Amino acid sequence: MVVRLAGATRWYAARVVDRVAETPTATSLCFEVPGWPGHLAGQHADVRLTAEDGYQAERSYSIASAPEDPAIALTVERIDDGEVSPYLAGEVRDGDQFELRGPIGGHFTWRAQQGGPLLLVGGGSGLVPLMAMLRHRAAAGSDARTVLLVSSRTEEDILYRAELERLASDGDGLAVHHTLTRGTPQGWQGFDRRVDAEMLAQVGPPVADAPRIFVCGPTPFVEAVADVLVGMGHPPASIHAERFGPTGG
Amino acid sequence: MRLDGNALAGVLVEALGTEMTEAPRRCQSCGAVNPVGAHLLYQGAGWVLRCPACGDVALRVVSLSEQHVLTFAGEWRVETPR
Repeated sequence: MVVRLAGATRWYAARVVDRVAETPTATSLCFEVPGWPGHLAGQHADVRLTAEDGYQAERSYSIASAPEDPAIALTVERIDDGEVSPYLAGEVRDGDQFELRGPIGGHFTWRAQQGGPLLLVGGGSGLVPLMAMLRHRAAAGSDARTVLLVSSRTEEDILYRAELERLASDGDGLAVHHTLTRGTPQGWQGFDRRVDAEMLAQVGPPVADAPRIFVCGPTPFVEAVADVLVGMGHPPASIHAERFGPTGG
Repeated sequence: MRLDGNALAGVLVEALGTEMTEAPRRCQSCGAVNPVGAHLLYQGAGWVLRCPACGDVALRVVSLSEQHVLTFAGEWRVETPR
């Protein structure tokens, strides 16, 4: 296997042009980034904040927007005792300036021309890079058969819920399934437990269809799901995993 | 804390000037070939990247104030645009 790699990446000036409250704890920040070289769905970007005294902090966030979108959107989950995320998810105002480095990463990416079928499994804010893939899929007019399985703690923690419903209702081969791990509301139609083999078998695609698989979430989630997928017979090489964990918030 | 090689992508870009997570690496211990992004990453005083098949060390990264220090193991294949 030989891969041609992209060139160097540098820091770009980024200006906040919009903010979207996604859930009680997650906010999407939309940036205008002059000179941005473009990205692939699934890549991430580093954000650098510089305080008045010169102190700098860097954090890495998955890009939520499609390559086709005019603004770069990052969805930031607030970690209450974090150093950076409470600021990004709460204090930022339109017009604020940051530095963005990216796009970063090439392993956890999907391009519409690669086709499907696709199996996307996201835990919590692990949905963010998968959302970029779904937005790219829609923008590119792809009808690649795609199954998205989203695991959230509670109903109010589900990211992009209305947009997911809209995308799934287009009838172009996207199925969206939700599971809640910490209680379900009355009348809940989705799953109500952690992702397991029975759930994955039910939502598909089956092993025989050789789906390209992307799993993103906290490390224990990703490793549990990847183990189940391998146990079901999916080839390890078909499973692209991206783990995230607290790196200072 | 365990992450994966994707989380090291930014440091590798800064240190080496190129995207590395798709680069295949052959483990010096078990011979398994996996993309850098699929390796396991451990954070302590620095970063240690390990083979996902056998756990042997693939890369150690120490980021000092003026430089990154990288120590590689195994066979890395990197192709960059010229």
